[in-house]
Amino acid sequence: MSGAAIRKIIHVDMDAFYASVEQRDDPGLRGRPVAVGHAARRGVVAAASYEARAFGVRSAMPSVTARRLCPDLVFAPPRFGVYRDVSRQVRAILEQYTPLVEPLSLDEAYLDVTANLRALPSASATATEIRARIRAETGLTASAGISYNKFLAKLASDHRKPNGQFVVTPDRARDFLATLPVAKFHGVGPVTAARLNRLGITTGAELARQPLELLEREFGKMGRWFFAIARGEDGREVLPDRPRKSSGAETTFAEDLTDPARIEAGLAAMADEVWGWCARSESLGRTATVKIKYADFRLVTRSRTLATPIDSRALLGATALDLLRSVYPLRTGIRLVGVTLSGFASGDTGTAQLDLDLGGGADGEAARAAG
Amino acid sequence: MKLTIERAALLKALNHVQSVVEKRNTIPILSNVKIEAKGDRASFNATDMDLDIAEKVAAEARRAGSTTAPAHTLYEIVRKLPEGSQVELEHGGGDGQLTLRSGRSKFALPALPVEDFPAMSGGEMPHSFTLSSDELKTLIDRTRFAISSEETRYYLNGIYLHGAESSGVRVLRAVATDGHRLARVEVPLPQGAAGMPGVIVPRKTVNELRKLLDETEGDVAVALSETKIRFAFGDAELTSKLIDGTFPDYERVIPRDNDKILEVDRVQFSQAVDRVSAISTERSRAIKMSVEKGALTLSASSPEQGSAVEELEATYESTPIEIGFNSRYLLDIMAQIEGDAARFAMADAASPTVVREVADGSALYVLMPMRV
Repeated sequence: MSGAAIRKIIHVDMDAFYASVEQRDDPGLRGRPVAVGHAARRGVVAAASYEARAFGVRSAMPSVTARRLCPDLVFAPPRFGVYRDVSRQVRAILEQYTPLVEPLSLDEAYLDVTANLRALPSASATATEIRARIRAETGLTASAGISYNKFLAKLASDHRKPNGQFVVTPDRARDFLATLPVAKFHGVGPVTAARLNRLGITTGAELARQPLELLEREFGKMGRWFFAIARGEDGREVLPDRPRKSSGAETTFAEDLTDPARIEAGLAAMADEVWGWCARSESLGRTATVKIKYADFRLVTRSRTLATPIDSRALLGATALDLLRSVYPLRTGIRLVGVTLSGFASGDTGTAQLDLDLGGGADGEAARAAG
Repeated sequence: MKLTIERAALLKALNHVQSVVEKRNTIPILSNVKIEAKGDRASFNATDMDLDIAEKVAAEARRAGSTTAPAHTLYEIVRKLPEGSQVELEHGGGDGQLTLRSGRSKFALPALPVEDFPAMSGGEMPHSFTLSSDELKTLIDRTRFAISSEETRYYLNGIYLHGAESSGVRVLRAVATDGHRLARVEVPLPQGAAGMPGVIVPRKTVNELRKLLDETEGDVAVALSETKIRFAFGDAELTSKLIDGTFPDYERVIPRDNDKILEVDRVQFSQAVDRVSAISTERSRAIKMSVEKGALTLSASSPEQGSAVEELEATYESTPIEIGFNSRYLLDIMAQIEGDAARFAMADAASPTVVREVADGSALYVLMPMRV
């Protein structure tokens, strides 16, 4: 450590969040394997209760597969509005402990409690109190990881799940990481994990033995990141109110579509959904991306960046349609379409410059016509 | 064409005209400067089709004529010639090259036919008046920082120059706004300007004009029509198209009844704002002013950078108010105030605030707060 004070970071992670909310609100679901999602032929599991996980049911798994693994599985249709409300409730609790709260999704967040505003004896005590209050105020359990950076805190929260917490201190970090499979490390997805394994790297200890040159050669910029995290080093700060970088929506059709009219209707609905978010959050992006998954699961994306922000539902819809039509004529059916908007103007962080009410100026033509 | 000219005079003229020439040009002739030799004068002329600068300098024309040559290259060469040297420019006519000789150096530059050089016809300019260079500098300096660069509201991309009446006195006013702040400054209406239309002078013209004014002390002759404006001083003449649009009715955003009056020492205030703004985020630059009887507290805080507080003595008698501003905007205004004291007239944290110099009422600034 280079002189800088050691930070205290907590990663709070709600336990089987969506499924737990369903079990809380419907006593009939308690103790039973629950999957949030649609049982429909092409549905996927959005979240699974611990009872369902015992059967091997996981989130993002096709509903059909989940049903096969666990014939008694109960499907609960998702109620995202409710999850959002509960998430806000949790967020309000977290913010009483530090202004430095960085939500990662509806069910997890990082906190930087280095400043210790509540004068609690330790970060562990803070985590214990936070979890107790979440339990009392929402009826849901959360797990927590406590460490000196985000990477370790997140790994630690997974260590005693559900309803537990775990501390990784600087002197214990190397031992903690040594036995973990590399697939658990942040930034290591299934593909990278497979590549690491092929190089004979399966655990944290093996990763830590690799020279930087080798990792950089094999993985480029990520290699440097792997080198650092294998040593428990992660300088990323907790960024409160992380400005959203994109907004997207996608839909999987009930059957593969070849009829342009039906595909385009699906696309228009997604564009509308994205626009709804833009309007609510007053965020305007300049880049529209259309994602298309063919019947054979081949995925293509087409994007276009405009000179000025996309500032109307019509413009977003037209741009998306243009992008979709660029892949015509279709040789195979389409399974999924999605629309994403990104390239937002620098978002505000709670402060906002107010505008003078100048009314409209006009161009010369209009003025002359009016005058 | 053949002429000899002193390096210093040539450099000055080329410096003025070359800055009009865009660095990347799709039309080759627009990269060139037009050179004309006649009698004891050489004239240099460059344009970007919207803005045209012409300058005459003393030279010895050994053979009258004209041509065009790449402006930036020519400028670079002359800049690097030793001080005090004499320069000879020669062009044989037609497609030939322009030859530049000075001491032991000799350059040959590609020339383009002078007939292709676009002449910006001034057209008839029915309104003309004279301003001192100081007046013109004031009109520009105190407004141009507020010019908008937002292209969708292109009619704000310049300074609005027009005649008006201020407490019964006829004035020439310059106004600029970017929608967050507005600057309005006035000088007594010069003779001949009474019937002039309101015109919007584009930003590039304003900036080029301001550069020329740095080397001018005398009067500037201004002539204009509905579509063009010309500034003539000494040996240089700048002609520009005007922005074809209608400037908004800016008077409606200037509050008349703001009764929370704060007076601060301009220097102390600027320095404090500058210090405290070190904490505000790069993006928002927000700073909070908390005002109560006799005191002003400036503060800023950001999750990443920590917080800052500074207290200042101030004259204030009204009910306490908290109001946020972009610190950059505050400093821009303070930089244009010459006297010791600045006066803020506020209404509330969400309404426009008026800032003026206590001793001099000729300039007025309107600033929209930030929500903090």
